[in-house]
Amino acid sequence: MKQILAVLAIAAAILTVATGATTAARAQDYPTRPITMIVPFAAGGPTDVIARIVSENMSKTLGQQIVVENVTGAGGTTGITRGAQAAPDGYTIMMGHMGTHGAAPALYPKLRYDPTKDFEPVGMAAGTPILIVARKDYPAKDLQEFIASLKTQQDKANEANAGVGSVSFTTCTMFNVMIGVKPTRVPYTGTGPVINDMIGGKVDYACDQIVNLVTQIQGGNIRAYAIATPERSPALPDVPTTKEAGLPDYQVSAWNAVFAPKDTPKPVVEKLNAALVKALDDPDTRKRLLDLGAVLPDGEERTPAWLGNYVAEEVARWAPVLKAGGAVQAD
Amino acid sequence: MIRIRAPKETTAGLFLIALASFVFWQTDDLAVGTMRALGPGMMPRALATACGLCGLALVIQSFLKDGASLERWSIRGPLFILGAAILFGLAIRPLGLFVAGPAAVIIGSLAARDSRFIESILFAAVMTTFCWLLFKVLLSLPIPVAPWLLGY
Amino acid sequence: MDAFIGNLELGFGTALSLENVALCFAGCLIGTLVGILPGVGPIATIAILLPLTFQLDPTGALIMLAGIYYGAQYGGSTTAILVNIPGEATSVVTTLDGHQMARNGRAGIALGIAAIGSFFAGTVATLVIAALGVPLTRLALIFGPAEYFSLMVLGLAFAVVLARASILKAAAVIFIGLLLATVGTDLQTGDERLTLGMIDLMDGIDFAVLAMGLFGFAEILRNLDSPETRDVAQAKIGRLLPSKADFKQSALPVLRGTLLGGALGILPGNGAVLGPFASYTLEKKISKTPWRFGKGAIEGVAGPESANNAGAQTAFIPLLTLGIPPNAVMALMVGAMTIHGIIPGPQVMTKTPGLFWGMIASMWLGNLMLLIINLPLIGLWVRLLKVPYRLMFPAILLFCCIGIYSVNNHPGDVLLTAFFGFAGYAFYKFGFEPAPLLLGFVLGKLMEEKLRQALILSRGDFGTFVTSPVSAGLLLMAVLVIVVAIIPAVRKGREEVFNE
Repeated sequence: MKQILAVLAIAAAILTVATGATTAARAQDYPTRPITMIVPFAAGGPTDVIARIVSENMSKTLGQQIVVENVTGAGGTTGITRGAQAAPDGYTIMMGHMGTHGAAPALYPKLRYDPTKDFEPVGMAAGTPILIVARKDYPAKDLQEFIASLKTQQDKANEANAGVGSVSFTTCTMFNVMIGVKPTRVPYTGTGPVINDMIGGKVDYACDQIVNLVTQIQGGNIRAYAIATPERSPALPDVPTTKEAGLPDYQVSAWNAVFAPKDTPKPVVEKLNAALVKALDDPDTRKRLLDLGAVLPDGEERTPAWLGNYVAEEVARWAPVLKAGGAVQAD
Repeated sequence: MIRIRAPKETTAGLFLIALASFVFWQTDDLAVGTMRALGPGMMPRALATACGLCGLALVIQSFLKDGASLERWSIRGPLFILGAAILFGLAIRPLGLFVAGPAAVIIGSLAARDSRFIESILFAAVMTTFCWLLFKVLLSLPIPVAPWLLGY
Repeated sequence: MDAFIGNLELGFGTALSLENVALCFAGCLIGTLVGILPGVGPIATIAILLPLTFQLDPTGALIMLAGIYYGAQYGGSTTAILVNIPGEATSVVTTLDGHQMARNGRAGIALGIAAIGSFFAGTVATLVIAALGVPLTRLALIFGPAEYFSLMVLGLAFAVVLARASILKAAAVIFIGLLLATVGTDLQTGDERLTLGMIDLMDGIDFAVLAMGLFGFAEILRNLDSPETRDVAQAKIGRLLPSKADFKQSALPVLRGTLLGGALGILPGNGAVLGPFASYTLEKKISKTPWRFGKGAIEGVAGPESANNAGAQTAFIPLLTLGIPPNAVMALMVGAMTIHGIIPGPQVMTKTPGLFWGMIASMWLGNLMLLIINLPLIGLWVRLLKVPYRLMFPAILLFCCIGIYSVNNHPGDVLLTAFFGFAGYAFYKFGFEPAPLLLGFVLGKLMEEKLRQALILSRGDFGTFVTSPVSAGLLLMAVLVIVVAIIPAVRKGREEVFNE
């Protein structure tokens, strides 16, 4: 009995310490131990792949291992919330993206962070262009015909996306609003099933990142109408840009960027930024990213200040679009 | 004379009915939708209804057929085992494996009547070291080891 | 035929290089280890070990990662048999008879037949992939939302058959499993369902959390309640390997399991999970002695284990031929391939045949290695069972806690598992079985998604489930399975009435 009491006393002590403890911040000689990079999406996906490629090189520059930790949930916001609340000592950083730091405030009313206030931007990593794709035997020759066909069909057309909060959902919301159609939106869990049903001809179209689609398009299983970037992608030279195809306002890229929690010391942020920029310049890293079809930032776009402004612009851009498109299926 | 012939079934049935009611209460604000467009509330409520009906059937059956009587619930087991797990969950991040691990083992072992104190402490030390080697060194999982001591 | 042999030659040529054999072995070993540890699954491990593979060439890296994947399947079955904790969704069925066999002192036999059956299944599956990979993918594309939904309904019918006792309670528990699958954020509207405001529940309940709680923690609580029966196989160790009679009994179940599991594994969207359940149901129904099931019938291990492994292998087909990952682990493999510069898709086979055929050949190699690794370990595991329970259960507790934490690095997951541990204990007191619940849970997510998608695509027309021949056929089978399951119970009920 005495032993049980003793143990319980120790347990109580542990509990009090556990709930009250915080980790001390060490700012000198950064970094002295491994850094955690939170990736708010499942391992294997585009953001995760980009994070791993970039962080591998950054590890070499910084002299400490960057460990990728996947914390998934709620369109990426779970992981980012965790990152935002982490100690601002530079040992926890995160890979945010267009969804978590652009569209999230509009999509999640109970969002527990503010993309413009709760983070120290480190730098833009890579963007993956968005493609407008359809099932391979869709009766339209090019983007203009496609848009016309969608306008006549309205809710008879089936648009597939990877669920509320996903890149395919937000970018297609913008597309639909821009061309003024209200298709029937079919949600899936993840891009894999979307592609699967598109190849099988069960759904009509989608808007998704190039990484997920490039081999299917090259293999002829899916047809692409346009790519939403200023220039054609070297991976898919036959796909016209939205500018060429007649929808120049549709410029969208699922950008991925590195963030640190608010109040991370400036010297730490600068060190991280320098490592990131070095990674983007490294020929091997560049090649791997470009092979994915990713678009890399240049010059001014690599600075933390630019990223901070960009985030604010993105938040402002997505709010009206998503409200207009509505997060509920058109019925 | 109405008599409960199978108390175990009665409690099981009542539990199901309670669960169903809980679900209905929690999904109160969700749109049920139509057959054409199933809303988010449709599936949980349909399932809750099914559960509730099963519960009702069980309760009725318990009045008609003889069955098992109520089982006794022990307190010691759940308290220490689940308590150990909860403590581990709370302590792992701020205090790391080196504290949470032994705590879980020692407190958990109190759940068995024939556990010996010194043995548990030794075993806790051995197990924690083994787990550290296995999970941290061999598999390199990002588990906090001792943030208050080593920083990671 | 020439092309087939030529491809296999290329494949084995690649797979049998010293480096690749070593990597295959390493992968299988790590995978088995990881599968045995509760909670830590192939996903976490592959994600962690991914950076280590950057130095290797793509084929070698993928061979090792694939080894981890099927090694984990084997390992998951080991814990299912030894301590009644399913390592993966596919090992849930193995707990039913596998653990009972362990309690009867036949742990070695169960482990042995699982390993050998899996090897056979793996060999057959490899040949199937090599010969029929591409045409089979086209078959899988026939499955749209309506067909999938009907397949899931069939799966639920299997779950009813799994019940050892009251069918009414089994049905109730399946409904609870389905209900638990709805917890989380709604796919279409983004509304939170049954999350009770907790951020940890916003993405739904993790399978590992549910399995560890209902099986792991609850099992410990159960055992502590009845000290007399808790020490597994303390007295009798019995044979270490299956006898001739055991083999004879298992031969046909292994064959049937291989075919079932292999066929279901091809379906993108986790069809592989249904394999073991389908096999168990089949064996129970066609057995001349169905009452042995649930008490340690070797067919209940041989069939599902073979189905399990066959499914794990054929799951690679959609990945290798189309580039579409059928489950989360495969999605990770896609990531791994991408990082190594190979973007998976329809052209992997033609552009990098060495990789494609090398992977297929190394699958078989991996199976062989798993057999070689696991058979000698059986002696070790069986000896491990002799550890006094008062030491064993805290160890299991610790492993489960660490394992669960490592899945998502959420401390909240551990707390949630404790809750389900209590729920599992309560279920035991009420007389509910956890296995059908887990099956309901696994199927539930897919089922609701496919149901809603099918109805959206058909604009609300329920006829869509019967107009498609595949879908109609599956639903018909489901009805038959349930009817066949209920008849004996109804008959028994009538007999009781007569006797009174």
